[in-house]
Amino acid sequence: MINLSTKLGSLELQNPVLLASGVWDFPYTKIIDFKRLGGVICKGVSLLPKEGNPPPRITETPCGLVNSIGLENKGFDYFEHEILPDLKKLGTKVFVNIFGESIEEFKEIASKIKEVVGFEVNISCPNVSKGGEKFGKDPKMVFSITKAVCGETDLPVIVKLSPSVENIEETAQAAKEGGAMAVTASNTFPGLVIDLESKGPLFKRITGGLSGPAIKPLALYNVYRIKNAVDIPVIGSGGISDYKDVLEYFIAGASAVQLGSIIFNNPLAPIEILDNLVCWMREKGYKNLKDVNKK
Amino acid sequence: MEPTFRILPVLENKKIGPYHKITLKDVQMYNHAECGNFVMIGLQGFDPYLSRPFSFLEGNRTSFSILMKVKGRGTELLSKVKKGDKLKVLGPLGKIFCPPKKGILIAGGIGIAPVYYQSRWMNGDILFYGAKRKKDLILTREFSDKGFTVRTITEEDEGLVTDLLKEYTDELNGKQIFICGAMGMIKSIKGILNKEQIEKAYVYVEERMGCGLGGCKSCAVKTFEGYRLVCTEGPIFPLKEVKFD
Repeated sequence: MINLSTKLGSLELQNPVLLASGVWDFPYTKIIDFKRLGGVICKGVSLLPKEGNPPPRITETPCGLVNSIGLENKGFDYFEHEILPDLKKLGTKVFVNIFGESIEEFKEIASKIKEVVGFEVNISCPNVSKGGEKFGKDPKMVFSITKAVCGETDLPVIVKLSPSVENIEETAQAAKEGGAMAVTASNTFPGLVIDLESKGPLFKRITGGLSGPAIKPLALYNVYRIKNAVDIPVIGSGGISDYKDVLEYFIAGASAVQLGSIIFNNPLAPIEILDNLVCWMREKGYKNLKDVNKK
Repeated sequence: MEPTFRILPVLENKKIGPYHKITLKDVQMYNHAECGNFVMIGLQGFDPYLSRPFSFLEGNRTSFSILMKVKGRGTELLSKVKKGDKLKVLGPLGKIFCPPKKGILIAGGIGIAPVYYQSRWMNGDILFYGAKRKKDLILTREFSDKGFTVRTITEEDEGLVTDLLKEYTDELNGKQIFICGAMGMIKSIKGILNKEQIEKAYVYVEERMGCGLGGCKSCAVKTFEGYRLVCTEGPIFPLKEVKFD
């Protein structure tokens, strides 16, 4: 029997494969068997509705994509009544990604949501004017927001870090000191796409967030740096496309992974990754996933 | 039918006018596909990274086809597929719509594909169809065979589809109208329809799409009720609800 279970602090996941925030919605349950996942992180929720950015919102690059969605969501009240009940029925561990434009907003949302497995605090979205990566670049702010959220809930708190910092170890340390159970490394990388027709930026907000296989070495390096400097579980996120990528993230120090853009390229990727991970471990004689990074 | 994600073989890639008609072998989807449904189609691997949304064009018990226009690098690569190549197919997607037996179809350019697919459930009335050049007009005989009066116009000769509509505007009265084409064309058409005609008009909206399943929130279209997603709330929207720049 192959054991894929993994631990994030005191929290045990049946396997390390999580679906990232902002890439899936309920229609994906028709394609993916969510019961097989380690868990999911839902689309970012803010206190008030956010309209999102004007289209175009997406374009592709070699080996990836750039998005400028802008955290479109219908706000906390809608989330509580229309989305949360269905999230609880998914049959997998659900983390709620929360977004605020101020510490107060983070606190208010965190205090209102219960009966989920945990929170992921979004302080790293590059596509919004207020909050987002502006918070995530400042270790003091990372500490304050994490501490404020942890003060409002007994649920485990994950902090999704911005890659747009000089020393990601510092923001990871700030999240740890604020009380985070784990950090996600990392969000999308800000980038520019030029439209040859209009001879200007494609996106109305100028920049977008780059994701997909193109960023894998960058995000992998962030995981490695944090793991070697801060004693906190790291969830690797960035360009994971197959089971080998999962193994690489584990060897770099991750305790779980998030799949994002790949489910646009191949919606069955999460299931294929889990199946192939088991095959690989069987072939190599591993019984427990936690042993794969041992030399 | 619930959507599935499968790898399907190409039976044929044939040039029709300026477009590519790609036929895929499939025994499941077309018989169950409904009006409003579309598919996401992509090459295996990471180049291009994203699949592209396509309306069904036509099909039968063993295959279906889509119509494609080369617009950028992604469609350029897709246009080169050969018999036996395999493509990723996600579908059927989209919000289904109950089409009328008779009605007005208005198409500009490649917008002919979704309205041709819709004509599967119809037994005629009028098609207004505009294209750049005479040789770009396709499927006109097939529409005639289905009992449609076909009115065409080309930019190289006479003008735009809106000119055609101005001439025959009374023919639109009291009927459901379905429009597919560039947003600029749709906006101009809205400008010449009267209030009653707008009430009964629907548009097929196209927008850059990431996943087709409502996950990425990329394919936003501006409506009077805020942004809505083409993939799960469309692609067919009431004309009166769509907000134009």
